[in-house]
Amino acid sequence: MPPVLTYSEEELIALLRQQSREAFNYLYANYSAGLYGVIRKVISDEQTAQDVLQDVFVKIWNNIEQYNPGKGRIYTWMINIARNAAIDKLRSKGEIMKSKIHGGEEVVYNAQKDLKTEVATDTIGLKDAVAELKPEYQVIVNLAYYKGFTMDEIAKTLEIPLGTVKTRMRHAMQLLRQFYNK
Amino acid sequence: MNIQEYIESGILEAYVLGALTEQERASVEADMALYPELTREVEAIEEAMQLHADNTSVAPPAFMQEQIWNAIQSQAKTEEPANRVEPLPMSRETEEPKVIAFESPKQLPKPAWQRAAVWAAILVSVGTNFILLSQRNKTNQDYKALAAKVDSMNSSQSQMLAKVEAYDHERAMLADTAMKTVIMRSAQAGKQMTGMVFWSKAKGESYVAIHNMPMPPQGKQYQLWVIQDGKPVSMGVIDNQLVANAGTMYKVPMTVTAGQAFAISLEKEGGNPTPTEVMVVGAI
Repeated sequence: MPPVLTYSEEELIALLRQQSREAFNYLYANYSAGLYGVIRKVISDEQTAQDVLQDVFVKIWNNIEQYNPGKGRIYTWMINIARNAAIDKLRSKGEIMKSKIHGGEEVVYNAQKDLKTEVATDTIGLKDAVAELKPEYQVIVNLAYYKGFTMDEIAKTLEIPLGTVKTRMRHAMQLLRQFYNK
Repeated sequence: MNIQEYIESGILEAYVLGALTEQERASVEADMALYPELTREVEAIEEAMQLHADNTSVAPPAFMQEQIWNAIQSQAKTEEPANRVEPLPMSRETEEPKVIAFESPKQLPKPAWQRAAVWAAILVSVGTNFILLSQRNKTNQDYKALAAKVDSMNSSQSQMLAKVEAYDHERAMLADTAMKTVIMRSAQAGKQMTGMVFWSKAKGESYVAIHNMPMPPQGKQYQLWVIQDGKPVSMGVIDNQLVANAGTMYKVPMTVTAGQAFAISLEKEGGNPTPTEVMVVGAI
């Protein structure tokens, strides 16, 4: 058994600032699966997702000085680094596909296509609270959180008013919060 | 500003989900700085997304830990020269360094016994250092071996915990007498492959387990089907993790209340609307 099982957020930050192997092992043991899960939600290709995970850890490691505890918890900070890195990767791939196949089509189109296959077929083996939501809520959470769409882009993609996007976002997150508060 | 209306508008959810433009973001952050209720609400939404990340966590392959550490290390090494602080030049205010001439050693030849004593002292010192150094190396090795042992014990402990959890679940499932066991056998000549589906018609619940099926090639995935009145209906694509964990049962998210057979086929990543290459099939 390791001498210390869990650290508080403050202790973790202090530990990370030491940049020791111990700090890395703790970070990896406690956060790699959560972050990798987020990345895999954005990118289904395993090899690409692994590359992104590596970049994300390097980023966390090098930017720990820039983390500001006043702006939210460190886990949220790390999740957002993972999400942004994965979405950036997805976009760069989408851009490449776009320029290769079609001339002027929107990135939205590629992301939408990608999403369609994912919605049509659930992945067995991954328990998922978002998947328990009604499809109209699911699609909004997935487009925003995992595909990096703005509200405006979601409204245009789904052909629904911007106000509806906002209220569905509110409702979807209320349901998710209830789900996790059980 | 009406805080309650602001909260109920859904803009804070959009903020956490990353669906705001740069300007909208900045304006929400400015509002949060003014109204602590908004910050509290954002924290509650963020907490749900943290729990969601834990809930959808996927363990990366074991080799990644060492690979990432090496990447971090090699990055640190390439950055080092840029960060290295140049040694400070000696202060220029100090006067010229004084040069003290050494006395010529020829003046006093040392007696033989003195030289012998010096040699003896040097030999003892070298010997002692050598012993201490090898002891230190030994301790280091012991420590490393111990650390590796603790590491492997930790990982086998978590593997065991996961197994116990899986068995527990299986036990509850098998106790359900309404559960039917469907064995899917290879549909490919010369290939030994099996899969199993456990199906409760009454509840519409089903579980799938893979037994000795090869890992799908790059860009391909297995897909599970139920044959209903001669037509295949997709039950979802199978995560490769499931193929790696042969024999473990996973709950299928889709509800199935009717069917004559289950099948697994090999499809492109993300699945297909109809099966192209059936691997295993089993009648109910």
